[in-house]
Amino acid sequence: MAPARDTPFRSADMSMVQLYISNEISREVVNALGELGLVQFRDLNGDLSAFQRAFTQDIRRLDNVERQLRYFHAQMEKAGIPLRKLDLDVDILAPPTTTEIDELAERSQSLEQRIASLNESYETLKKREVELTEWRWVLREAGGFFDRAHGNVEEIRASTDDDDAPLLQDVEHHISAPEVERSFSCMNIGFVAGVIARDRVAAFERILWRTLRGNLYMNQAEIPEPLIDPATNEPVQKNVFVIFAHGKEILAKIRKISESMSAEVYNVDENSELRRDQVHEVNARLNDVQSVLRNTQQTLEAELTQISRSLSAWMVLVGKEKAVYDTLNNFSYDRARRTLIAEGWCPTHDLPLIRSTLQDVTNRAGLSVPSIINEIRTNKKPPTYLKTNKFTEAFQTIVNAYGTPTYHEVNPAIPVIVTFPFLFAVMFGDLGHAIIMLCAALAMIYWEKPLKKVTFELFAMVFYGRYIALVMAAFSIYTGLIYNDIFSKSMTLFKSQWEWDVPKNYRPGQTVTAVIRDPNYRYPFGLDWRWHGAENELLFTNSYKMKMSIILGWAHMTYSLCLSYINARHFKRPVDIWGNFLPGMIFFQSIFGYLVICIIYKWTVDWFAIGQQPPGLLNMLIYMFLQPGYIDVPLYPGQKYVQIGLLLLAVIQVPILLFLKPFYLRWEHNRARAKGYREIGERSRVSALDEDDDGVANANGGDRHSVDSAGEGVAMIAQDPDDDEEEEEEGDDHGHGGKFNFGEVMIHQVIHTIEFCLNCVSHTASYLRLWALSLAHQQLSAVLWSMTMGPALKVTGIGGAIFLVVVFAAFFCLTCIILIIMEGVSAMLHSLRLAWVESFSKFAEFGGWPFAPFSFKQLLEESEELKEYLG
Amino acid sequence: MANGWSVITGLLICVAMAVAAWFFSPKGENQVLWRSSIILSIACCFLMWAITFLAQLHPLIAPRRSDLREEYVHH
Repeated sequence: MAPARDTPFRSADMSMVQLYISNEISREVVNALGELGLVQFRDLNGDLSAFQRAFTQDIRRLDNVERQLRYFHAQMEKAGIPLRKLDLDVDILAPPTTTEIDELAERSQSLEQRIASLNESYETLKKREVELTEWRWVLREAGGFFDRAHGNVEEIRASTDDDDAPLLQDVEHHISAPEVERSFSCMNIGFVAGVIARDRVAAFERILWRTLRGNLYMNQAEIPEPLIDPATNEPVQKNVFVIFAHGKEILAKIRKISESMSAEVYNVDENSELRRDQVHEVNARLNDVQSVLRNTQQTLEAELTQISRSLSAWMVLVGKEKAVYDTLNNFSYDRARRTLIAEGWCPTHDLPLIRSTLQDVTNRAGLSVPSIINEIRTNKKPPTYLKTNKFTEAFQTIVNAYGTPTYHEVNPAIPVIVTFPFLFAVMFGDLGHAIIMLCAALAMIYWEKPLKKVTFELFAMVFYGRYIALVMAAFSIYTGLIYNDIFSKSMTLFKSQWEWDVPKNYRPGQTVTAVIRDPNYRYPFGLDWRWHGAENELLFTNSYKMKMSIILGWAHMTYSLCLSYINARHFKRPVDIWGNFLPGMIFFQSIFGYLVICIIYKWTVDWFAIGQQPPGLLNMLIYMFLQPGYIDVPLYPGQKYVQIGLLLLAVIQVPILLFLKPFYLRWEHNRARAKGYREIGERSRVSALDEDDDGVANANGGDRHSVDSAGEGVAMIAQDPDDDEEEEEEGDDHGHGGKFNFGEVMIHQVIHTIEFCLNCVSHTASYLRLWALSLAHQQLSAVLWSMTMGPALKVTGIGGAIFLVVVFAAFFCLTCIILIIMEGVSAMLHSLRLAWVESFSKFAEFGGWPFAPFSFKQLLEESEELKEYLG
Repeated sequence: MANGWSVITGLLICVAMAVAAWFFSPKGENQVLWRSSIILSIACCFLMWAITFLAQLHPLIAPRRSDLREEYVHH
């Protein structure tokens, strides 16, 4: 009895479908299916390499477009133009037609060229500008040298005329010489002027000095502003230099050296008139270049701004298009009929939707050939598809983090929705902390839309689990009320069941014990507040919380074990019920169920009224195993026989657990063999015509006769049942397909039995973490209070008030950081473990593989590349 | 008022609530989710309350303290 529709209780029903799509509309069909996101296509061309596939050419072309788009993006970032991000919630992109994609490709091609040429001319212009600027500096600085040098012409001449003359000879004598304006040329002195990077100056000087043996006169000045190096776009500090030297050859040498030191040499006239003209000329040219530069820059920016408006959309379109062709590459092509054949998994209940989508696409294209979708029977294991909604998504993620549930087994996330937050709350029980947590969770849910855009990873993680936090906080409020803890203080909600038995001559400091106020009144809800602050509080709460942990653990595990019964019934494996579930259940209950009953029974007996010694349950349980029949302190009459009986019952279950299932399976297998049945996997070995595999396969896949005349691809599909055998062999679906191997089944069952019996003990003990963590949480918050608020509340006066405000801030911050965040995370991890290990091991197989449909939505969400384009 | 029978009363109330949750869960494909979550929650809460109540039903030890203030004692 298949349910009318898929529920979250099990993974959705899946069907293997075969699609026959006309070649002309294949792209549109895949596009539509991608929008739908309900089909997972199988790769039918597994033997073809990526290069041999049909649509590789298209993918290459799209890769190129994508590269161009990324180039635009890089250019925009360089120019500082903001990208208009695409908000998928608001903008809906219509599926593009082929011509649109072609246009986009062409357009981006031409745009790329245009931007590249603009960039190129921009760079040349920039270079020109730098050169001119440098020249201007040289002119300005060198002019200074000349003006100064002309004053010393005589002196220089003197030094050149007479090598022996001291350099600084009687300066005043020549200072006002009339021949100041005389040229250097008449003295046969030439010069080289240029610009060099400042960090190279020292080396430059040294080389010059050495090669020319000091026959030079170098003058330099720093350029105050850094110049931009056009090649690297980085500012460089440069110096202007002018070198005077003697003779043409030496000058040529200097030029060469400067070039080798990558200094720029500029032409400077020594005549000041000409130099003035040069400066004017340079300035004019510089202005021209700058205005052209500005124009180029503006054009480039305008172009990029225009692109920036639609770049994100293009990027998404290209990404989708590429995904479409990637998918099409998985299809097999029937040349004779010009159709593409696809195979894939889809949810059975969504088949009508897929069918109508296909119909729509065909109609829109005006094609007479319909696309055909065929459900095919297969013995392959379908993928596990667990539908989620906003609320269950995070819970399902917790489960999936452990493993993918087997197809159709009870979804482990169903009980987790309650048990995980509840067990968390048992450890986190404090009303105050819970309320803060609830506020945070509610705030995250109320401002869901704006907060969704936050990309800060840590917050995104918490935000993702906002509904878990909500349920956890709600349960924590309940457990906080039960524990009667609010920031480690108690609430006097009801009248206490205790009253202090104060002696007549009471002195402060005297120990007082409480007595029951009224034998017929008990504290109705939660822990009596009289225990708070009592000297023996921990004695009581430890015993209470420890027992509670055992009972809750027992309940959790029993519940989980029951789910294995539901699984066995659903998969129609009665042997799992008789050979696994039932003996396991009896074993567990006869030991730990009995313990729980004893705990509850012990609570219900008024031991003082009947005047007996209450027995220690731990000792009782230990003696039950070590010395069956020995009762230390009796709990109830006839206890001896009950315990021996239960122990025997438990021991008997072990061989049943061990042997029933494997031997039953063997018996079943042998019976089937005796009747002449063969297993499906054995077919090819049975067949006498080993090489005629096709024939066998076709005989099996009866409904595929119509296509077997076609080419390679179709024959391959017909062989499908033989492929992927590795895929099927895993898991432990004994007797359900696959070869029967008694040894394997036996070993598996032995492991299962040992594991189960040992786990019953260790898992029950593991639940004691509930007690340990709730104790730690309660004690920690008590310590925090006594170290901050406790003393602060005792200080009186205005100083006390100020002190209180400060201390409260500290108290609140520490509460949030340590008690809520840190303790919360630790309690969550412990609760997670209880769900994953203690609970799941009782019923879930986790032998499935996840359903990963071809979906644009998922593609866009998961793509790292597109992330920066999506708002 | 609140004596040993309260646990039974509480159980009955919780069972009634669970039955009501079974029938009044919103219809639709998430009905199973509603039912399982609500009933499990009721069961968890009942268990916790009942355990706490039973633990205090016939206490073996009584609260004891020696820092009671005089003014508190006589009221």
